[in-house]
Amino acid sequence: MTWYVVRRLAVSFLVLIGISAVIFFLLHLVSDSPGRVVLGQRASPQAVADFNREHGFDRPVVVQYVRYLWQLLQGDLGRSYKLNENVVTLLQQNAGRSAMLSLAGLVLALLIAVPLGVLQAVKRNSAIDRSATAVSYVLYATPSFLLGLLLIAVFSQLLPLFPAEASQSHSPWVVFTDPRAMALPVITLAITSVAVFSQYQRSSALDQLGQDYIRVARAKGLPERLILTRHLLRNACLPLITLIGTLVPTLLAGNLIVESLFNYPGLGLLFLNSLQREDYPVLLAYTLIGGVLTVVGNFVADLVVAAADRRIELRK
Amino acid sequence: MNPTNATRRHVAQYRRVAKEMQSGAVRRTDACDDARQSSRGPVDEGDRVLTIRNLSVEIRRGGRLVRPVSGVSLALARGETLGIVGETGSGKSMTGLAVMGMLPAGGRVTGGSIDFAGRELVGLPAARYRALRGNEIAMVFQDSMTALNPTRRIGEQVAEPVRLHHGASRKAARERAEELLALVGIPRPAERMEDYPHQLSGGMRQRVMIATALVCEPKVVIADEPTTALDVTIQAEILDLLDDLRSRLGMSMILITHDMGVIARHSDRVAVMYAGQVAETGPTAALFDRTRHRYTHALLSSIPSLTHDRGAELFSIPGAPPDLTVAQAGCPFAPRCDAAGDRCRTERPVPSREPGGHTHACWHPLPEPAAGARLGPVVAPSAAVARPRGGSGPGDGNDVAPRLRVVDLRREYPVGGAGPFGRRRTVKAVSGVSFEVAAGETFGLVGESGCGKSSLGRMLVALDRPTSGEVVFEGESVTGRGSRALGPRRAQLQMMFQDSNASLDPRMRIAAILREPLAIQGAGTRAQRAARARELLQDMGLPAGALERYPHELSGGQRQRVGLARALALEPKVLVADEPVSALDVSVRSQVLNLMSRVQAERGLSSVVISHDLAVVRYLADRVGVMYLGKLVEIGTTEEVYGAAAHPYTAGLLAAVPEAHPGAPGSRAAGARVRGELPSPVDPPSGCRFRTRCALATDRCAAQEPPLSVVGGTHRVACHHPLRPPHTTPSAPRGSHHHGSGESQREGWSA
Repeated sequence: MTWYVVRRLAVSFLVLIGISAVIFFLLHLVSDSPGRVVLGQRASPQAVADFNREHGFDRPVVVQYVRYLWQLLQGDLGRSYKLNENVVTLLQQNAGRSAMLSLAGLVLALLIAVPLGVLQAVKRNSAIDRSATAVSYVLYATPSFLLGLLLIAVFSQLLPLFPAEASQSHSPWVVFTDPRAMALPVITLAITSVAVFSQYQRSSALDQLGQDYIRVARAKGLPERLILTRHLLRNACLPLITLIGTLVPTLLAGNLIVESLFNYPGLGLLFLNSLQREDYPVLLAYTLIGGVLTVVGNFVADLVVAAADRRIELRK
Repeated sequence: MNPTNATRRHVAQYRRVAKEMQSGAVRRTDACDDARQSSRGPVDEGDRVLTIRNLSVEIRRGGRLVRPVSGVSLALARGETLGIVGETGSGKSMTGLAVMGMLPAGGRVTGGSIDFAGRELVGLPAARYRALRGNEIAMVFQDSMTALNPTRRIGEQVAEPVRLHHGASRKAARERAEELLALVGIPRPAERMEDYPHQLSGGMRQRVMIATALVCEPKVVIADEPTTALDVTIQAEILDLLDDLRSRLGMSMILITHDMGVIARHSDRVAVMYAGQVAETGPTAALFDRTRHRYTHALLSSIPSLTHDRGAELFSIPGAPPDLTVAQAGCPFAPRCDAAGDRCRTERPVPSREPGGHTHACWHPLPEPAAGARLGPVVAPSAAVARPRGGSGPGDGNDVAPRLRVVDLRREYPVGGAGPFGRRRTVKAVSGVSFEVAAGETFGLVGESGCGKSSLGRMLVALDRPTSGEVVFEGESVTGRGSRALGPRRAQLQMMFQDSNASLDPRMRIAAILREPLAIQGAGTRAQRAARARELLQDMGLPAGALERYPHELSGGQRQRVGLARALALEPKVLVADEPVSALDVSVRSQVLNLMSRVQAERGLSSVVISHDLAVVRYLADRVGVMYLGKLVEIGTTEEVYGAAAHPYTAGLLAAVPEAHPGAPGSRAAGARVRGELPSPVDPPSGCRFRTRCALATDRCAAQEPPLSVVGGTHRVACHHPLRPPHTTPSAPRGSHHHGSGESQREGWSA
């Protein structure tokens, strides 16, 4: 087990270095002259060249990457010249808020999706099941910006229950301190996930309902409610854990839209703004975070599944 | 037998059993047989725990209405075992589930009553039913990987019913669970309580299942195919355990199975079900000795047994069981019955009762044999056709070069990953097996699951490559070559698989399935291939209409015929059949066995038949090899191996096979039983691999591996202490002295 973790961490590290290389070279293809970006279209070619030489951007791309990697390993993600701020500091300011938003959305989604999926499985092919499936597919197919706009139109404009803009507070705990202002972003984020999770949970619960141990539990005389909570739930949730692991980076992407829609200052908004400003160091860092979350999400999911299901032995 | 003496003897023996059970070594002894004998007899009305009257069940699935049980009446007396036997779809399991109030979705009881100790169960409110379930009536299901919840500890699962029904505290329930685990023969129960199900072997899991069912001391236990997924040696232990616990805890048991042998050995009374109805019921001995119903008779005749005359073709019942979605008029067996008349087709037979509680529902029952005359394994005279045997006699293989030669074949599979520095661990699936198969000869490979027989089979047809050793086909090695290098030679080696449901592509029509091997080998034109497919199908006794069908539209027996036809499409010289009939029902099994036997003879095929079923191998094979943990422990002609088993393992296997007649049980040396669990093939025992389960093992067995050495004729055995020289009585010398009377019946079994 310890050996497994060590190996997985080592492999993850290598994967991340690979990711950083790919992103770095891709961005280099898009823009090989940061000086032009920073100084603007009107700057003289001489000034741009000077800037590039000063910051080492005239060196071969491999050299630039090695330098970037070396700084990365020391925890330095570079500097945003547009904001005149260290990228790490920028991330620190925004990451907590984004994480809390994602987490709140994820928890809400699970709270709805897990029982809903089980209910659909138990009452399979009933009116409830069919309508839940239909709604799920509609929601799944709806882009989240449209969903967000609809929610704003209904719950903010039509019935003024919630503000249309998220809280502008810089505290990461704003989800708890100002729930009313955060309701719409969290709900928008959750609804899209609910659609996926509940369908996943439904099929997994259906699978488990057909297993012999459910019949054995019934033969023990357990009431259906206990059969579901004591025996079915844990087994039915196992595939969902893996799914969530792979979806972690998607949550980040979901944030991107929700944050910009509700003007919530988080990583997503930072990314969008940086995109418009062509602020490459920030874009690079954001994409790298996506890579880290993918690797870490899968790793954590594997550990959690192994802890929940003793049949799985972690090795290799 | 003097009753007083008998009683005294069996009380003494019973005490011994109880003592042994407490020490954790649960085993069946003769005491149980005697106890059973004395409890046999007609059911006393006052002593019934369960009475099922005219029970009918309907299941609605989509738009279809199935009637799996129609008008079943059964009674269960206190302390007895009622065996319900039948094929797939006979309604035997559905009857059990109806008693449990656990019919599948869409199912309901449409008529009749179930009286449990004075309480009517039909229509009982759900909450009251639940209070009964797992408490006063319990059920043991077939072992499967998921019969126990994979993510919860065993202790919790066993304790659950006690907490639920008796409101026991967590601690009290745990203690009770531990007690039960000890009772069902789980070694070191306190430690096992913390285990998860996947850490146990199949046999141990089934013991846990039994503990779960019995933890509340139910009055009635319904065991539905409790040993079907287990090996014979484990099956014997589990059934004995159930028997012992039943008498010890004073329970009644309903034993539901498809296996006539299990029924004959373990039940007091038997009910034979067919198409949702009880065809015949009565005390076990009476039912087997004086079979009246045509279906029971046909069923018994079609079972290949260890005593069946190998020269005669197996009796087989034509056709397949009826479709239960269609309402039946008359006797459901009529379409498949030789004796059926007009009345059988129009009027449902009324049960007619004979003295002793023997009841049958047949308009043309078999005549009662003269009093005292005992039928052996019943074979209808018309069916006793000598079957053609293509096999060369024993020893013929030595005169000419063998068609298939297996030389010191080994196969090891890596398991898991290597540790940081450690070497890679391997499963030693096949560890140095050598044998030869002559042209036209059928070689049988028997052994329990995990012995490496299937791994070996795959290497024989070059589907897998050995770690070392080789397979030589007509003088040329087929191992260690790519499939391109094998070329057309590969077509000469074909395989027939066990599960035709999985081995036939569900999206291909039968015609396409049969044409595919020909197309791959580029044989003939398209039209010729189509003609060949038609011809093959006809040869397998399937209607030409089947060509345009998909596999799921055929019955299991038909699919298995297609599997055989596909294997024969390229006219191979070697056919490897891995568990060819294990997935089939008894009445269909004999059809396929006869077909295989005919095909082997007609085509001069060399075949290797792999099976865990000793009777199947005995029926098909000319020579037999017995495998244990990757090694051949005994090899010889079928007569030699079955008639005079020299290896303790072979003897143990043979002793564990329940035979379909009640006189047989126990008469074959209870002491010869193989006990305990199969050791891990990752670290097999040193020396003789069987020594850990062998009663005769000595220090020498651990130190030195016994080579295969000749004990007579072509008969070779790998044992330091072979049981007996050949051609003597087969029963083991140990522990068999109680059974003097049984010996005479066993004479036929070496024939």
